[in-house]
Amino acid sequence: MQAQLSSLSGPLLARRWVQKNLFSNRWNSVLTVITLTLFAVIAYNLLRFVLVSAEWESVDVNRRLLFLATYPSAEEWRLWPPLWLFSGVAGLAYALWSRVSRREIVILGASAAFMFLLLAEGSNGALVATGTLIAVGAYAGGRRLRETRYDTTARRVAIGGGVAVLPLALILLNAGDGVRTTVWGGVMLNLTLATVGIGFGFPLGVMLALGRASSLPVVRLACAGYIEFVRAGPLILWLAMARFVLPDFLPTVGGLDEVDLVVRAMMVMAGFSGAYIAEVVRGGLQTIPRGQREAADAMGLNAFQTTWYIVLPQALRSVIPALVNRFVSLWKDTSLVVVLGFVDLLGAARAISAQPDFVGRQAAALLFAALVFWTVAFTMSRLSLRIERHLGVGER
Amino acid sequence: MTSQQTQPAQGQTQRTGRDMIVVEGVSKWFDDFQALRDVTTTMQEQEVVVVFGPSGSGKSTFIRTLNRLEQHDAGRILIDGIELTDDLANLEAIRSEVGMVFQQFNLFPHLTVQRNITLAPQKVRHLPQAEAEELAMQLLERVGIPEQADKFPAQLSGGQQQRVAIARALAMQPKIMLFDEPTSALDPEMIKEVLDVMRELAESGMTMIVVTHEMGFAREVADRFLFFDDGQIVEEGTPEHFFTDPQEDRTKLFLSQIL
Repeated sequence: MQAQLSSLSGPLLARRWVQKNLFSNRWNSVLTVITLTLFAVIAYNLLRFVLVSAEWESVDVNRRLLFLATYPSAEEWRLWPPLWLFSGVAGLAYALWSRVSRREIVILGASAAFMFLLLAEGSNGALVATGTLIAVGAYAGGRRLRETRYDTTARRVAIGGGVAVLPLALILLNAGDGVRTTVWGGVMLNLTLATVGIGFGFPLGVMLALGRASSLPVVRLACAGYIEFVRAGPLILWLAMARFVLPDFLPTVGGLDEVDLVVRAMMVMAGFSGAYIAEVVRGGLQTIPRGQREAADAMGLNAFQTTWYIVLPQALRSVIPALVNRFVSLWKDTSLVVVLGFVDLLGAARAISAQPDFVGRQAAALLFAALVFWTVAFTMSRLSLRIERHLGVGER
Repeated sequence: MTSQQTQPAQGQTQRTGRDMIVVEGVSKWFDDFQALRDVTTTMQEQEVVVVFGPSGSGKSTFIRTLNRLEQHDAGRILIDGIELTDDLANLEAIRSEVGMVFQQFNLFPHLTVQRNITLAPQKVRHLPQAEAEELAMQLLERVGIPEQADKFPAQLSGGQQQRVAIARALAMQPKIMLFDEPTSALDPEMIKEVLDVMRELAESGMTMIVVTHEMGFAREVADRFLFFDDGQIVEEGTPEHFFTDPQEDRTKLFLSQIL
């Protein structure tokens, strides 16, 4: 069969393929025609919209709005250093931990370039270029250090840097007169909330899952109770609670009337995703055979060591797809802070239609917002695939 | 690690006579089911004891109580003079003195062979990494698979995995080794390689308790047999006693079934 086919010329081969895969019988032929027609109509309309009727000008002149929304221009300097640090850490980490795959570098590079382009308006060009240079430089440096005697140090620097991004941002945002968090907005707000939600929600979820599997009844009940309670309400409800109810429950520190609204939103994001992540992790814990614990016990490892070195690594590995699923959905759920009065990416995109120049024309901006959400989500899913493959070594 | 007591297996006469394991009136229940009934026995240093009996007779439960993977509900167990209780410090001390090899190997699939072996010495005994790795290599030499150090368990055959498991248990330099049906999950052609390692270990003077039905091997290395049935030690004695002159009907019946 193979030999016969290969002796055929190109066009004939293509015809064979089409016949075999698309028109093998009458029913398949009908399906093919219907599907292709639908596809053509959709593609035509989408292309016509993207290339002809969409007013991309509404996005172009509003890049600042989409990225930062209500955040004041004069305070933008506070954002750049953490962003640069993040670029550096990302470049370094990718160089140190991943094996090279040109396709993935292209994907990651493209999504990073896209985000930077979004930022690069007016006088920002040089600042964006700096960030890009740092990322590329860190990547090149990381490639060179990898598997030398500085490897471990470089990895520690990358981890330390990654942990430092958020504190650095918070310090800079509060330095001097500071910026009121109520003016945070745009993509920046979505990214911050998602980062905090994942960064705190993940460890919280792991602890809740371990607690729920604990042999101590009080711990088990408390964790199960928390999970069931939080999962019982929609996120939007908890966010509304964060606005109106939570202040009455939280202690006030340092003369503040109440805990900052953004902080409350972060708490809800982390607390909410923690409950879901806990259930995902619990599923992972159940895949660990009893013999694994017994072997660890028999060697004299204590309960913490057994969990940390034996159980968790295996449990988490087995639920990476479900975990990333939660992260992606948390990333998009950040849009719900609109109920707190914030103008996030989606809020900014909708606000464009209220501008005198673009009254009622929000299609382009919405499509653009969708593209930004997709870019980040897709990047996450690619990264998770990479991690999965990387950890897959030695899987039973 | 290579403890150079080149003492022959039949060297019962040279044993120090020190009591390594003392079991007094031990009983164990799983809900309503009584798995162990008033078990009493003593094992001396360097003694090799083979435990056998029908399935469900309590033999596995018995050796699992010796490092408290199962708690006994009544009676006393002393390991090298330390009583097994709920005291965690005691328990961890005892567990690092008692190595265990399981029927299903229970290697850690996410760690390399070497890391499987070095983990406990590093974390429990606080051995520096370089020393732990050297120890791991010595032990892998001893069980005959040094070239597998960087592989993951799933890349090894069953026999190789079980030998890694033995090396892993030995890495804690235990005084006692427990084997819970170490060859039952193996393909026939791999049983010998594991038994060879165990034989070498017995000859080196390790105190061993082995649950097994490999009677040829047992007869060769064991100082003493314990026959379990219905949660009790029905009969105990030398291998010769069992093969030539078993007393109890249940023993005779079981031996006739497996031999």
